[in-house]
Amino acid sequence: MKEQIFEDLFKAIVELDREKVQRAANELVREKLNPLEGIEKGLSKGMEVIGDKFERLEIYLPELLMAADIFNAAMEILGPQISAGEKNKIKKGTVVIGTVKGDIHEIGKDIVAMLLETAGFAVHNLGKDVPASTFLEEAEKVNADIIAMSSLLTTTMEHQRELIDILKERGKRDRYMVMIGGAPTSLAWADEIGADGYGETARDAVSVALELLSKKRNI
Amino acid sequence: MVSFMEVINRALTGPSYSEKDYNLKVFVPKLRELVKKYEIKYDPENPIPSDDDLADRVFKAGVELYANVGTYCVDTGRIIQFTEEEIQEALTTAPSSPVFGEGKDAKPLLARKPESTTPPWCFVGAGGAAVSNEELFVNILEAYASFIPLANSITTPTIKTISGKTVQAGTPLEILACIRSSVLAREALRRGGRPGLPIMNSIATAVSDTAKIAGSQFGLRPSDGWLIGTMAELKINFERLNEIAYVLSLGGHVVAETAPILGGYCGGPEGVAVTNVAYHLNCILVMKGSAQLTFPIHFKYGCTTTRDVTWAVSISSQAISRNSHFPFFILSYTAAGPMTEMCLYELAEAVTTSVISGASIEFGGVAKATAVDHFTPMEPRLASEVAHGVAGMSRSQGNEIAKHLLTKYEENIPDAPEGKKYKECWDIYSKQPGREYEELYRKIKRELAKLGIQFKS
Repeated sequence: MKEQIFEDLFKAIVELDREKVQRAANELVREKLNPLEGIEKGLSKGMEVIGDKFERLEIYLPELLMAADIFNAAMEILGPQISAGEKNKIKKGTVVIGTVKGDIHEIGKDIVAMLLETAGFAVHNLGKDVPASTFLEEAEKVNADIIAMSSLLTTTMEHQRELIDILKERGKRDRYMVMIGGAPTSLAWADEIGADGYGETARDAVSVALELLSKKRNI
Repeated sequence: MVSFMEVINRALTGPSYSEKDYNLKVFVPKLRELVKKYEIKYDPENPIPSDDDLADRVFKAGVELYANVGTYCVDTGRIIQFTEEEIQEALTTAPSSPVFGEGKDAKPLLARKPESTTPPWCFVGAGGAAVSNEELFVNILEAYASFIPLANSITTPTIKTISGKTVQAGTPLEILACIRSSVLAREALRRGGRPGLPIMNSIATAVSDTAKIAGSQFGLRPSDGWLIGTMAELKINFERLNEIAYVLSLGGHVVAETAPILGGYCGGPEGVAVTNVAYHLNCILVMKGSAQLTFPIHFKYGCTTTRDVTWAVSISSQAISRNSHFPFFILSYTAAGPMTEMCLYELAEAVTTSVISGASIEFGGVAKATAVDHFTPMEPRLASEVAHGVAGMSRSQGNEIAKHLLTKYEENIPDAPEGKKYKECWDIYSKQPGREYEELYRKIKRELAKLGIQFKS
């Protein structure tokens, strides 16, 4: 029974079936199964498959968004069953993400935000055209682990450096891991400006965030 | 045609949606419904299809899409919507041969058809890529003017630094850099012997409307092309509408820029093709353009030379050129960079596809236009020669060329070589390519000639 419910949660995500996910999540609650196990073995596993399919462009952005919506629909049912302590235990970390000042490109950044969320991060998406000061204020407010900045233009990527410089000048550089991404950026650029990580694709960004988090917690 | 004032009125009063709902409840379902209704199907075996009926179905789907989803104004959260009658009227009254440039370089931009012998307009440069400083900016622009005889207009690069200071968007440095861009570009074209050549991408350094308008005061002309962009998919904001208001009041030419994303809200190549047609209508109706500049682009690889993007470019270009007299360019981005075989194969494939399918060309961005100083006049020169060499060629012959070229590079797209920097393969004093690049160019040109491309020199 238990395995069947996890399988149903998994399939519901992969098949983008909202009703099925709600049925399976309700079933899990009725059977008093561990919701964390359902998330890990069903929903998250399904999101991994969805992420892989998107990476291979077997599915496109609308399907990815739909999968995230379905994931959240299941979480609305499972969430109340999880105690605050358990939630904290499974939360991977907190990310503040946005596209830097002057830049209005945000499709790629939104995909990263979504994948981070379904990977277990608490994500605060600040949108586009975000000044360095706003990144910093929000990171302080939510006690972020990671600040993630996207830039699609050669004239706006300098704002990634700007934030890192401000963190250094204010003596706060060690409080946050900083990762960057966007078409004109690169690992070399990340090294040049002193960022901790660079994600070339949305999937990379999730792996980088996980690595940075484990690094931060082991410091 | 619906006036610009009425466009603004509709941006302020049209149907209200959140951006998310516009994406997922308006745009995506209607696009998918129309792809199915008009039986539009991607054929990877034929990246340049020869199916007139399919092209016309893509056009009809694009018109129906635009009549349903319009253009979303992100500042007001409202849809600027048009009836099918207004769209048809706009297609009848849209510009067909705007004249760009001054003096000897003044010339009409003519709409073309698939397989047309009408020479394509060659809009050449770096596709907005960044150059590290002002000295190289002048040097490369002078070389574009003097080294590319088939150039009809120029794109200026983005200036990364001025007076040794890195330009940051949104600061006064952006405005100063835009002013220098206009001043230096005009001077460079004069030095290159073609002072009348139109600059057709406004000012690549400009991110804000303020910077573009301020910079333009220092050298842009109404006869230039004032490139103004949209946001994916089918969205516009007040900054861009502000620029349009300015250019129209100046009597200038808006070159309306669009970029449907393969893998994004459009989905696959079929959705990209239909959306590209809808964008064409947006360029006439909302942006009041003199021409459309479009580049369907691959979400993952950031280039336009994949097989699926090629198909979307070809069929949408055929759809547009068979059914509209409003001229348009296809802008190409290669994955590989200067002085690599792959870059030259990619550009030949992309340009062949565009020209045979009825478009004029902008070439273009090499190394995805993201690496600083990674471009030379050699790539746009070869692009212009290929463009003239395939004008009049049949789609079936072009299809064979495209397929052959794709097999040479498509597997390498994920790890494409970045190539060399400008100074590493170009003599900045003689304004000529280095010997190694010259030899590579000749070798590839011989290969392309064997495939049937008829070079004039």
